[in-house]
Amino acid sequence: MANKRVETGRGRKPGVVKASKKASTSNRAFYLIIAAIAIGGIAALTYASTRSNAAVNASPVDTTLPAVKSEGYVMGSPTAPVEVIEFGDFECPQCGRFATLTEPDIRKNLVGTGMIRFRYIDFPLQIHPNTWNASRAAACADQQGKFWEMHDALYANQDRWDGAATRNPDKVLRQIGDQIVPDKSKFDTCVDTKATQAKIQAHWSLGMARHVEGTPTLVIGDKQVAQSLPYDQFKQLVDSALAKSGKTPAAAGGDTAQSATVGGAKGGSKKAR
Amino acid sequence: MTKRMWMALISLAGLFLGVYLTMYKFGVIGTLACNVGSCEQVQTSRWSVFLGLPVATWGVGFYVLMLGLSIAGMQPRFLDSRRLSLGILVLAGWGVLFTAWLNYLEGFVIHAWCEWCLGSAAMVLLLFALAIMDWRETREIERETR
Repeated sequence: MANKRVETGRGRKPGVVKASKKASTSNRAFYLIIAAIAIGGIAALTYASTRSNAAVNASPVDTTLPAVKSEGYVMGSPTAPVEVIEFGDFECPQCGRFATLTEPDIRKNLVGTGMIRFRYIDFPLQIHPNTWNASRAAACADQQGKFWEMHDALYANQDRWDGAATRNPDKVLRQIGDQIVPDKSKFDTCVDTKATQAKIQAHWSLGMARHVEGTPTLVIGDKQVAQSLPYDQFKQLVDSALAKSGKTPAAAGGDTAQSATVGGAKGGSKKAR
Repeated sequence: MTKRMWMALISLAGLFLGVYLTMYKFGVIGTLACNVGSCEQVQTSRWSVFLGLPVATWGVGFYVLMLGLSIAGMQPRFLDSRRLSLGILVLAGWGVLFTAWLNYLEGFVIHAWCEWCLGSAAMVLLLFALAIMDWRETREIERETR
């Protein structure tokens, strides 16, 4: 044991610090390895940061799946050349990231200019205990034309009402909703009586029929991505869908006057169920 | 290669891992490379921030300290320093406790695993094992030189 330590310089008396030949070789090997790790690490981080700007791998949408007709909540012009559908879960952190980081740019640059129409369809996942409550509350807000405001508030306050925060989510959801809707009493009754359960069930069933496996699942034209996307990647897919549609927002005669008001969750939602 | 050299190498690898996750938290990287588990679910959960800073950033701080102490411990004047060994051991022990808490959250609260976090946990455990061996060695040297 003592011999081993002397080989690497340990165990010597103070002042005797001259390294042995073996220790010197060992040091050289160490610095070579540390340089290799440093170069490899920097290269990997550089690659990772540039990869985010690369084209995203999207899978083609299976055209044999049941089509989305009028389910969900729509923001933007009905004549926009491309429709984007999000199957989302209010308690899903990735959806929250998408809603808070990417969606503001989407609304401002794509929905507001009539390039796309954005449709949100609930797909509450079983692993999230409070997500059905949130979807029902959002549908209740929609009854008063405040879906998107509620949508944004739910994602921005996920940590107040999610499964890790409370076992009585309706109480917090009522507090959030009451600050948004004009008729608080109607909203509270709607939440308490689960009046919108059937609507959420229909949204969820559509997702199941379309084999949605996770959230967010984004359908952009004929492509589908099962993850949150930064704006640049999202825009690439929209550009591709626009090119395939052969239409431009102007050529499509987009109702931009209506959609221009949707930035920052000012748009109304249209519903069928 | 000495134990402190190994600790420095592992710390440097951990440092890059922490920087990678920190870059994700600050939006520099769009999506995480994640073949196993649900990295983004963990990294975007409310538990991914501790005292106002991303947990990954705390990890960067931990690995920087560990790297600094390990490299300092390779210098001739600190080779037999028991105090430095003890410092490394305490830091690694704190890392193990914090990592255990994070893994508990992943398994029992968030119900999702992040492969990068598990990789970091393995590194912290290795660092702790090496720190124990290093501390025992310096203790032995101290006894022999008395």
